[in-house]
Amino acid sequence: MGIGVFVGVLGGLLLAHAAYSTVQYRGMLKIMEEEFSGPPPNVIIELLLGLALCAIAGLAVPEKFHSILPYSEENRVVSLPANLDFMIFNHRGRALPFDPELKLKT
Amino acid sequence: MVGAAEEARLNRLESQVDNGGGGAWEYLCLVQKLGARRSEKVLKHGLSILNDPRARSRLGVEEWTLYEQVAIAALDCQQIDVAKECIAALSMKFPGSIRVGKLEGMLLEAKEAWADAEKAYARLLEDSPLDQVILKRKVAMAKAQGNPAAAVEYLNKYLEIFMADHDAWRELAEIYVNLQMYKQAAYCYEELILCQPIVPLYHLAYADVLYTMGGLENIQTAKKYYASTVNLTGGKNTRALYGLCLCGVVIGQLTKGRNKDEKAESPDMSSLAAKALLKDYKERSPEKLSLVTTMMKNMKLIS
Repeated sequence: MGIGVFVGVLGGLLLAHAAYSTVQYRGMLKIMEEEFSGPPPNVIIELLLGLALCAIAGLAVPEKFHSILPYSEENRVVSLPANLDFMIFNHRGRALPFDPELKLKT
Repeated sequence: MVGAAEEARLNRLESQVDNGGGGAWEYLCLVQKLGARRSEKVLKHGLSILNDPRARSRLGVEEWTLYEQVAIAALDCQQIDVAKECIAALSMKFPGSIRVGKLEGMLLEAKEAWADAEKAYARLLEDSPLDQVILKRKVAMAKAQGNPAAAVEYLNKYLEIFMADHDAWRELAEIYVNLQMYKQAAYCYEELILCQPIVPLYHLAYADVLYTMGGLENIQTAKKYYASTVNLTGGKNTRALYGLCLCGVVIGQLTKGRNKDEKAESPDMSSLAAKALLKDYKERSPEKLSLVTTMMKNMKLIS
């Protein structure tokens, strides 16, 4: 987890730096009065590296992936939630004794 | 929906909390998330958090959802006094809130003051006539008074407006089954299967209703839905396997003496289901294996 986050932050920094260098490069081009045809190669390398690092972080940080098969053991539906919106209170459970000690102290 | 892994986690946390291992808040959150009805335990552990000022202040704003959860659990356990205090705390914090108003209505319901509860809900509905929770409470109230016909009427009205509410469809289906109106219940389950086609429990319930209605055609359809339940659960649902066995036997009886080609494929699937059942029993409950084996032999599913 720690390494994953570190890699992610590094990737983010690289991307930010790539953006910053592109802005700088465009500023320089304006001074030299040349047309902007594309980012310089070092920015492209930086972008690719940043992308790769971010992708690695994205895969590493959330740790375990869930299965998408509906009948796989982890996410097999075993029961539905009790329909609590429709719950009623005069059920047979009221005949059971309850602990009188349970009180809200304020 | 409660998955197998989540259920295991809930049970593990429950035994941990019951044995004083801590994690009460985590347990309460999971109960809330899964929509499990464990009122007694929620009341006990929720109160232990609420009565401890330090633990309570650590929750921050979550404190108020805990008050709500404990209030409902207390109503379910007939601890009216506790519920009253929780609701009083909530209404002091949020005066005029509909959510607290609903809790007050539920308090009246638990005291069986039906007329007062009705009035309270009617007042809330004046402000927001399409409040789903209040409309559902009215259905529950009709059910609690032992008047399922009125509950059905309210629910049908509700479903005309909120057609995509699958919980309401499920409730309606269950009420129809209680009233033995299987045709209508089957319609509700069809709606549910359309709504959430990969939930095996709806397929299973639909098959159960069709099997109960009887008749060759219904039972053949029921068998298909039992089969789809087996497919969706990976063969882990015992009830669906039993359903397949019984459908096979009944279809065999109903088509006895008729043309032979219909019979050709049906005994096959039910005997496979019988084999799967026996295997399952062998693994999980060997002491009952002999009982199941004799039953299957009597039904002529295995030799």
